[in-house]
Amino acid sequence: MTLCRGIPGLLALLFSLLVFASCSSRPRADLIICNGAEPQSLDPAIISGQLEGRLTTALLEGLVRRDARARPVPGCAEKWTVYPDGRTYTFTLRPNLQWSNGDPLTAEDYRYSWLRALDPATGSPYSEILYFIVGAEDYHSGKVPASSVGIQVVDDRTLRVTLLNPTPFFPALTSFTTYLPVHRQTVEKYGDRWTRPENWVGNGPYRLLDWKINDRVSLEKNPLYHTPDRVALNRIDALAVNRASTAFNLYSGGQADVLLDKGLIPSLILPELRGRTDFHPGPLLATYFYRFQVTRPPFNDARIRRAFAIALDKEAITDKITRGNEPVATALCPRGMADYQPPEGHSSDPDTARGLLAQAGFPNGKDFPRVSLLYNKSELNEQLAIEIQAQWKRELGVTVELRNQEWATYLRSLDELDFDIARSSWVGDYDDPNTFLDCFVTGRGNNRTGWSDPTYDSLLSSALAEPNPARRLHLMQQAETILVTQALPIIPIYHFIGCLMFDPTKWAGLYPNLLDDHPFSEIKRAKN
Amino acid sequence: MKPRALHLCLAALAFLTLAAIFGPYFSPYSVDQISQTRLAPPDSAHWLGTDLHGRDLLTRLLFGARISLLVGLVGATISLFVGVTYGLISGYLGGRIDNAMMRFVDILYALPRIVLVIVLISLFDLKLKHLLDGTFLAPLASHARLLLLFVGLGMVEWLTLARIVRAQVLSIKERAFVLSARLIGQNTPTILFRQILPQVIPIVLTYLTLALPAVILEESFLSFLGLGVQAPLASWGTLLADGAALLNPIRTPWWLIVFPSLLLAFTLLLLNFLGDQLRKLQK
Repeated sequence: MTLCRGIPGLLALLFSLLVFASCSSRPRADLIICNGAEPQSLDPAIISGQLEGRLTTALLEGLVRRDARARPVPGCAEKWTVYPDGRTYTFTLRPNLQWSNGDPLTAEDYRYSWLRALDPATGSPYSEILYFIVGAEDYHSGKVPASSVGIQVVDDRTLRVTLLNPTPFFPALTSFTTYLPVHRQTVEKYGDRWTRPENWVGNGPYRLLDWKINDRVSLEKNPLYHTPDRVALNRIDALAVNRASTAFNLYSGGQADVLLDKGLIPSLILPELRGRTDFHPGPLLATYFYRFQVTRPPFNDARIRRAFAIALDKEAITDKITRGNEPVATALCPRGMADYQPPEGHSSDPDTARGLLAQAGFPNGKDFPRVSLLYNKSELNEQLAIEIQAQWKRELGVTVELRNQEWATYLRSLDELDFDIARSSWVGDYDDPNTFLDCFVTGRGNNRTGWSDPTYDSLLSSALAEPNPARRLHLMQQAETILVTQALPIIPIYHFIGCLMFDPTKWAGLYPNLLDDHPFSEIKRAKN
Repeated sequence: MKPRALHLCLAALAFLTLAAIFGPYFSPYSVDQISQTRLAPPDSAHWLGTDLHGRDLLTRLLFGARISLLVGLVGATISLFVGVTYGLISGYLGGRIDNAMMRFVDILYALPRIVLVIVLISLFDLKLKHLLDGTFLAPLASHARLLLLFVGLGMVEWLTLARIVRAQVLSIKERAFVLSARLIGQNTPTILFRQILPQVIPIVLTYLTLALPAVILEESFLSFLGLGVQAPLASWGTLLADGAALLNPIRTPWWLIVFPSLLLAFTLLLLNFLGDQLRKLQK
C-alpha cells in the first residue's frame, strides 16, 4: 500500500524535475562558435593548442593583444619603448587596471605569471616561447634563481624586459597565451582548480561564466575590463564539437554562428562551398605533419623514416581528402613567411622508399614490427589516416594500425612519447620561421618526437643571435634542411588553407589571417 | 504454422552467409584498395558505388558482413555456453546457491551492458596486444579488439539465457525421469548434461536466433562509436559511421548510408523472424 501511495508522489517529483531541468537552461548566447575539441585546460601556462588559445585570450589579456586581422595592438600596456640596443623593452601599463574580482592588476602580476610559466614545477609544454628573455632558459632548467631572469618590475605600471638578442617581434609575442597573466592569489589558493568557473579570476574582455565538459564553455562580458565599450557581444558560447559533419549541420541549422576551424568544415563539400558568401578562405601559416617516435625501433632508423616519408603520394591526399587546393608540404615551414625560403624536401619516390626499407632489413615490409598511427578524433584526421595507411600498405607492404584518442588523451600520449607515428599540426605563433623550427630543438615541450641533434640546436641558436637578417634566415634554412631532408623526425604533409564560415550579413570583425587568430572580443554584429 | 516462411527465411540467411564468405573472392576489388574513382554513385563498375577513398562499397559490405556475422555468431555462442551452464547449475542445485547465483545475475542486469563492454575494451585492448605479442599468437595481436568484442559481447548477453534455462530446469527436475536417474545413482553432472540439457535445447536454440541479432546490433553500435573493429577492417557499424560522417545538407553520398543501413536492418529482421518462426514451431 505504501508503495502505491508513493508512486503518484514520485511521478510528480520526476515531472517537476523535468520542468526544472528544461527551465534552468539559459537563453541562447549572442554568438555561438564551434571551437573544436574539448579544451585540455584554460590555464595559459599549460596549453599550447589553438582551440584553448582562442578561449584563454578572450579570458585573459597580455601586454599586447591582437586585433581582428591578428595585428599586434596595445592590450594592457598602453605603450612600450625599446632601447637602441634592441634588447631591452619597457612596457607601460594602462592606469587603473583591474582583475575581474576588483583587485588591482600591476606589472608584478606579469612578472609572476611569466616566471610561473617558466617554473619547471608548472610543467608548461611551451615555456620555450619565453626563452627570448635573458636567463629564462637557465631558470627553467634550474641553473639560476628566478631573480636572474630579465624581467624587472620598475613600478606598478612599468615592466622592463631584457632579451638575449634583438627580437623585433617581441611586443607581438606578448599577446601569446604563455605570456598571459594569471591572478596569483587564486592560483595559489585553488591549485589546478583555479580554472573552474566558480574560482575564475581574469583580466580579459570576457569572464568565465560556465564550463560544461564536452558541451560548451560560456563566456560573459567582463564589466571590469579596461575598455568594456570595445566588446560588442555580451555572451559567447564556444561549443566543443570535433566532428565536422556535426559542426556543419549545427551551422546550417542556425545552432552555431561561426565555424572557426578548417577541421570543422566537411572537406567533401569544399568545392560546393567555394562560391558561397559565408565561406571565407585565406592563406594561413600552418602545416599538417606526422611525427615519428624516434627513440625506439623501428623509427629510430632514419632510413625507415625516410622510406615512410617518400612512399607517400601527397598530391593524392590533398586532391582526395582535404580538397581545398592545399599546397603539398615537403618542408615544415610554409612559404610566404617573412622572406624565408624553406628548403626543398623529398618528393614522392616509392621505388627508393622500397629500397630503403629493404636496406633496413624489411624487404617488401616483411616482418615489419607492428606499429600504430595515433590521431585525435576528427573526420579529417581519420580520413587522412585511412588514406595514408592504404598508401603505405600499397607502396611498402606495411600495415600500420590506426589508434584514435580524445584531444586531451592524445596530447598526453604525445608528451609521454607513447606512440609510433602521430598526426600533428602546427600553426605559426609569430611571423618568423623560428616559431616552427624551435619546436624540434632538443628537449622542447613541443618536440614530442624524442629527436635530438646538436648541429640543429646550434644552427638555430646562432640564427637567433645573428643580427644580419639574410644570414639569420640562411642559418635557419640550414637547420630546416637537416630536419626535413636528413633526419626526418617528421613527415610534412600539406600546408593548411585557412577557412572560416560565418554569414557576413550578420557578423563582422572576423578576417582570415596568417596566424588564424580570431579574437572573440573583436566579433560584432554587422551593420546593415 | 507456415513452413514456407521459415524456409524463405533460412534461404535468405544462407544466401547472405554464402555471399559474405565467398563474395569478396569474386569481387574484382579488395576491401582496402583505394582508387581514384572516389564517391562514385552506383553504376555498372561499382554496383553500390564507392566511398571517400575510392573503395568499392559492395566489396566492403560483404567483407563487413563477415565480421558482423562472425562477431554475432561467436558472441552468441559464448553467451550460449555461459548462460546454459549457469542456468543449469543454478536451477538444479536450488536453495541458497540458486538464490545467490540469481542475485548475481540481477546485479549484472542492472549494469549498463554496452558501457561494460566499452570499459572492457578500453582497459584491456593494449594489455591483450602486449600479452599476445610475446607468444605464438602474435599474428592475432592486431585483432585484439575483435577478440575482446567476441568475449565482451558474449559475456553480457548470457544473462537472459541463464534465467530462461533456470526456469526450465526448475520444472524439469521435478519430473519422474530425473528422479529415477537420481535413484539409480547417477551423479549430478551426468543428470545435468545427459538428462536435463536435452530437454532445454529447443528453447536454447530459439533464444540463440534472438541473441544473434542483438549481438550484431551491439557490435555495429560499438563500431559506429569507433570502439569496435578498426580500419582497414570494416563491419556494418564502421561502414555506417563512415557514411554518417559524410552526412550534410549540401551534398550527401546517399549510397554510403542507405545500403549499409538496409543490409543491417534486413539481416536483423531475418534473424528475428527466424526466431519467431522457431518459437511458433515449438508450440
